[in-house]
Amino acid sequence: MRRAFSRRRKPWFAIAVTVAFFGMLYLPIVVVALFSLNSQKSLTVFKGFSLRWYRAFFADHDLIGSLGFSLRISAVAMIGSIVLGVALALGIVRSRGKLGSAAGLVLLIPLITPEIVTGVASAMLFKGVGLPLSSGTVMLAEVTFSISYVTVILRSRVAALNPEVEEAAMDLGCSRFQAVRLVTLPALLPAILASAILIFAMVFDDFVLAYFTTGVTPQPLPVRIYSAIRFGVQPTINAVGTLMLIGSIALIGLALLVPRLFGRRESLSQLL
Amino acid sequence: MSETSAVRLDGITKSFGSSVAVDDVTLDIRPGEFFAMLGPSGCGKTTSLRMIAGFADPDSGSVLLGGEDVTYLPPNKRNVNTVFQSYAVFEHLSVADNVAFGLKRRGVPRDERRERVGRMLDLVQLTGMANRRPRTLSGGQRQRVALARALVNRPKVLLLDEPLAALDLKLRRQMQVELKQIQREVGVTFVFVTHDQDEALTMSDRLAVMNGGRVAQVGTPEDVYERPADAFVAGFIGTSNVMTGTYADGRLTLPGGVSLPVPSRLGLAAGSRVGAAVRPEKIWLSDFEDGMVQIRGTLRETVYSGATTTYLVEIAPGVQLSVLEQNIDRSRREERWTGGEIIDLAWKPEHCLLLCETA
Repeated sequence: MRRAFSRRRKPWFAIAVTVAFFGMLYLPIVVVALFSLNSQKSLTVFKGFSLRWYRAFFADHDLIGSLGFSLRISAVAMIGSIVLGVALALGIVRSRGKLGSAAGLVLLIPLITPEIVTGVASAMLFKGVGLPLSSGTVMLAEVTFSISYVTVILRSRVAALNPEVEEAAMDLGCSRFQAVRLVTLPALLPAILASAILIFAMVFDDFVLAYFTTGVTPQPLPVRIYSAIRFGVQPTINAVGTLMLIGSIALIGLALLVPRLFGRRESLSQLL
Repeated sequence: MSETSAVRLDGITKSFGSSVAVDDVTLDIRPGEFFAMLGPSGCGKTTSLRMIAGFADPDSGSVLLGGEDVTYLPPNKRNVNTVFQSYAVFEHLSVADNVAFGLKRRGVPRDERRERVGRMLDLVQLTGMANRRPRTLSGGQRQRVALARALVNRPKVLLLDEPLAALDLKLRRQMQVELKQIQREVGVTFVFVTHDQDEALTMSDRLAVMNGGRVAQVGTPEDVYERPADAFVAGFIGTSNVMTGTYADGRLTLPGGVSLPVPSRLGLAAGSRVGAAVRPEKIWLSDFEDGMVQIRGTLRETVYSGATTTYLVEIAPGVQLSVLEQNIDRSRREERWTGGEIIDLAWKPEHCLLLCETA
């Protein structure tokens, strides 16, 4: 016999699991943010509010240099992977041969390969071809790694495009290339912007791949933070972490906003 | 012919893989004509249209526009424009920018562009919608945008690929009339693809009926309706009663031994299986005249549909004729029969067509 499910009784167990889940997820971040405002150097006792660690961060040319470097890597990875990833998505969807579907499958491998494997493999590749690790190699690795994400996001959007729209553009006097530029790319713009922001945010705080493929100096910010922590945690790192968090939240918010800016119903989650 | 055809398809053939979509089609479409290509899906009408537009290359044969061979010219080098089945409106552009798109590509100056777009929007009754976004428009309005966007370029030929298929019935009827008026006004040659025989008959000056990649018949709506070339055309255009039987000496013998006179045809061997077709509205139920073909049958069904009544009469085992009567006062006879009676029907000999091939 089945018992009637009582709606009045609170599902305490479910609530407890949920609270524990969110606690595990966000409490450490809250602690980092809080202690970034600590007036003392202690990482265990909160003494009062102060912005001294933020001032210390902005005074630290080394850290600022790393921040600038990370922003540059992200920008290059974003632009490079968008250009190549969008072109690849168009190619895969439009090609009728076996090459296209094969490329579509191969594309998924970077998404499931453990990043540490990608990182070590990339480092070995660069060494093997005699390319010294530098700012160039880390950018090359990040662009390559990001293309899969862009293409996977864009592919379904390209497939959903009405082929008659591009034909209409050609009918009205466009060459094939002009039709893509004037009609297809604008139709894909929301998805392109959303994936650009996503790539920027992902690459900006990427540690593993950056660690294995970057040169000695400058170091990307996450790598720099990691090496700093090895010599004992400085409260400055809390400030850096909090700033990165704010930046990431802002970017994700922007990504969520993009489709609305275009007045479309589709949201980021649908784009992904 | 002194006049150059607006469009000439000369023996074009196109296959996709092993299936032949268009099979040796030759057509001449006259300047200023409203020409329909009619047929069931897969008959090759859309593929033919795409070859005129330049979206597909024929495997053999040639496409001429105003006498000029354009067979392998890309779409942007042809003076034709297309109204697509899906409308293919550019969602990221306003209504006015959609309509101005082709003019802009061709470098028409801004002032002239604006003036022509304005006039075109008036013509398709979208005045005041210039700054609207396509997604805020109804299906009918989007269709008008697509039409204006194509016509504003003053093409030699306008190609329309089932432009009304996505509209509901009432709007479709309204757009049929409007399209025809617009075509008269601008005088552009319209080539219109449709699977709707009503649409083709009411709108076109001439039409080609296509079947299996071939042209079954070309002619005016009256030609095609009154004098269908074969069983397919007779069955596809309007409704026809096709009676299949054995031919001998100007008579057709139906199953069960019923025999009726049909137009005789020289060279048709006695004993050939042929079909004879009579339109439902050409069959009379009363007031017969001399010289009519009379036959007797059993009334099986009476279907009343407002303006008309359809009677299903079995004249031989398995051979039913449908008979259409207008419900004008004189012939309103639903009380006349209850069903199952033996009744007389008749048609004039010239309304019975012998079909070359049996279906």
